[in-house]
Amino acid sequence: MKEEFVNIVKPLLPNVDYCSIRFVSKYSNIINATRGVLEPVVISEDEGVMITIYNNGGAGYGATCDITKEGIKHAIDKALEWSKFSKNKLTYFPDLTKMKRVEGTYFTNESKQWSQVSVKDKADYLLSINKALKSKSAISNWGAGLRYNSIESQFIDTNDSNIRQKLSYILPQMIVSAEYKKEMQTRTYGGHAHAQQAGYDFVDTIAMSDKAYELVDEVIELSKAPNCDNNKTTVLIAPDQMILQIHESIGHPLELDRILGDERNYAGSSFVSPDMFGEYQYGSKELNVTFNPTLEGELASCSFDDDGTFAEKKYLIKEGKLLRPIGGFFSSQRLGMEYVACSRATNWNRPPIDRMGNINLEPGNYNFDELISSIDNGILLQTNNSWSIDDKRNKFQFGCERGTVIKNGKLTHVVKNPNYRGVTEDFWKNLTKVGDESTNEVLGTSNCGKGEPNQTIFVGHATPACVFENIDVFGGV
Amino acid sequence: MKEYFSKISDYLFNSLNKTEVLILNFDAEVTDFIRLNKSLIRQAGNVTQIGIHITLIIKNKTLKSSIRLSSNFEKDSIILLRTLYFLRREISELPNDPYLMYEKTTHSSNLINSTNLDSFAITDNILMRFRSVDMVGILSIGKIIKGFSNSLGQFNWHESESFNFDWSLYSSNGKAVKNNYADGKWNDSFFSNLAEESIRQLEVVDNHEIKLEPGKYKVYLSPSALNEVIDMMSWGGFSYKANRVGSSPLYQMFKGNQSFDESVNFTENLANGIAPMFHSDGFVKPEKTNLILNGVYKNSLVSPRSALEYSVKHNAAEYYESPVSIELDIGPLNSENLLSELNSGIYINNLWYLNFSDRNNGRITGLTRFGCFEVKNGEFTGPINTMRFDETLHNIFGEKLVGLTNNQQLIIDTSTYEERSSHSSKIPGAVVDDFSLTL
Repeated sequence: MKEEFVNIVKPLLPNVDYCSIRFVSKYSNIINATRGVLEPVVISEDEGVMITIYNNGGAGYGATCDITKEGIKHAIDKALEWSKFSKNKLTYFPDLTKMKRVEGTYFTNESKQWSQVSVKDKADYLLSINKALKSKSAISNWGAGLRYNSIESQFIDTNDSNIRQKLSYILPQMIVSAEYKKEMQTRTYGGHAHAQQAGYDFVDTIAMSDKAYELVDEVIELSKAPNCDNNKTTVLIAPDQMILQIHESIGHPLELDRILGDERNYAGSSFVSPDMFGEYQYGSKELNVTFNPTLEGELASCSFDDDGTFAEKKYLIKEGKLLRPIGGFFSSQRLGMEYVACSRATNWNRPPIDRMGNINLEPGNYNFDELISSIDNGILLQTNNSWSIDDKRNKFQFGCERGTVIKNGKLTHVVKNPNYRGVTEDFWKNLTKVGDESTNEVLGTSNCGKGEPNQTIFVGHATPACVFENIDVFGGV
Repeated sequence: MKEYFSKISDYLFNSLNKTEVLILNFDAEVTDFIRLNKSLIRQAGNVTQIGIHITLIIKNKTLKSSIRLSSNFEKDSIILLRTLYFLRREISELPNDPYLMYEKTTHSSNLINSTNLDSFAITDNILMRFRSVDMVGILSIGKIIKGFSNSLGQFNWHESESFNFDWSLYSSNGKAVKNNYADGKWNDSFFSNLAEESIRQLEVVDNHEIKLEPGKYKVYLSPSALNEVIDMMSWGGFSYKANRVGSSPLYQMFKGNQSFDESVNFTENLANGIAPMFHSDGFVKPEKTNLILNGVYKNSLVSPRSALEYSVKHNAAEYYESPVSIELDIGPLNSENLLSELNSGIYINNLWYLNFSDRNNGRITGLTRFGCFEVKNGEFTGPINTMRFDETLHNIFGEKLVGLTNNQQLIIDTSTYEERSSHSSKIPGAVVDDFSLTL
């Protein structure tokens, strides 16, 4: 699209208080091999535009995949109709004088393009990973996959803004299961955690084959392991579970649109109220959380959000104190609060709403050995496999694939079905130790769901391993 | 759009070589989305989207591509042909697919259900009805279109116009009730009654909160609440493949080691016409498939790929092998007299955010949400605080099931991820004993 698109649509911009045109072109390629067989390869190309109009006290949008001149004109007409209809019926109308002209670009660093590797080579690679996953007879189910997504966008508006961005990410996945005495245990890699903004070079760095053999040994051990005991204990949570904990019990409750009630019919509200910002002690002094769109390779890194707001790193929680919400330029006006560049849309056919972006827990001072040796009785929890939290993001219960019991500062034996539950308002106050940079991992999930109409979006979480005291842990039936 | 799909189908089929088979799945919707908060408009607009999924098959190889269409033939025909050439070039590099199966006999069909819904008038009606309360929700209105064609001569079309209004009312104390109205035609007086009923329910729920302690309670699960449990059970529960590889929460039932109460009958029932009867590879779906009969696991949903992998017959299930129109038979409990049936316990209108605690043993967790009450001696005593449950499917539908109610509710899926869903369920409520509330 680029300049050609800008030249076509600029003359179409209507004479209104404010209008933006957001063009999105998405490419997706999914390749999976399961139980030694390549599944049908799927390639998806999707493009369209969303026109948003604020005019005379009303607002509306029109979105279409018909990006001919006629198609865009039709979408503008739809946006105008809804902006006219909604006059004096809106929850709020923003102060448009605060909007600025913005210009810039952002491109994911893809040192090796996805297209540089043939579909045959990718298929052969995944089939070879399948062989590694089925390297022992105890394995009853296995599979590996690669998903590549590339999202190119162009944003222009009546302030003469012009933003071009291209975010590309890869999600590798492996699953391996073993059955023992009629009960199956599973280990995974990727899935909910290991997505990165990158080109195919990321696949070259992660050594899926080595990890496959590790997973095989782990799942066989797990299948014969005892159930996790029920007790109140100290937990050391690994980064691939920490990201879920941060996501559900810090990220979501801080989203400003939840606090303002937009999500009460679907994704829920929040236990956080506006008066808590700047006052509330969210967690212990060890807790430092940032909105950070600047970390290279993290999933939601960018230069601007989908409303054209420049993206910068900002603290949400510092030394345990709650500072600011995850609210974009428009919704922050509803409370007169400071904004972050978090207004994001999943595609051209959905309007931007407050989303997480990259929400990171900043590293502390302990390496992994120091974290383990600090625990007399406890459990190391790895890899999320179940998540559930109430509509105010308070009462949660999370399950992990693998637990390892810690006794007298040493890892002892593996247990299956480790779950833990708690209440957000208490949980983060029990954070006693935060791992250092050597335990920190830049991770992310591609499927955060929210919004009406519904939107799934990718978010990043960088986090070290962390220790929490007095946590209610339990096992399976 | 039907003529347009037919035109591009012919165009592509005429471009094929003799050894090639092409399958086309057409997906379109024209929807007005009106998002509401505090009984005002939060975001409103129109989305028009047309997509086509193209599957090229050459002997035992297959490759799929999805693209957007503009409905401008001059533009689309170039993209379609470019996609076909790309698929031809890439497919040669792929290995044979041993589980490739597609329909080779033709079963054409046509269903068009068009009404003229007026989004602006309906939105005004909603805003007017709820102007005195705090309402939040989403109204989706418009056409959903699914088409299928293949180069062997089959052509199927399913076009329906509908609305789905899903809303909650909130009191100033944060108490809430939830409701839904979905249909092909808008009925003002029906909606007016529903709206008034919602407002009355809110007055009932807006009372002093009763804080429950964790423990075991006799509960009534409304159709909406039970639907959430069934949704969770459908994460692999009825999938043939999931049961063969052991990842199903109903694995022990599939193997014949467990059963539900004999009053429990689950059916995949497509007779309501909400979901298309044709499979994405052209197979015609059976109108009814018994999944659990008299409490015993009867049939799984078997996709053509699973059929070839495990040498069994398929029943035209999609690759994900989960129900799209599940029905649970009614039971003996009089739904008019539920409070007496429950006597003392918890009346649960909605459950939320379910997941597995122990998938192998069908144990699930989740939370109460929207209008849940304590009942004592057959009377509501007040709304409860949000509670977490942790319970097995075997208890809910088996040993601890007191009974199912004697009428069902049609629940149309409100999901709008990527596109508006055509899934639905038809289920009664249930009274369950010793239901574990844990937090």
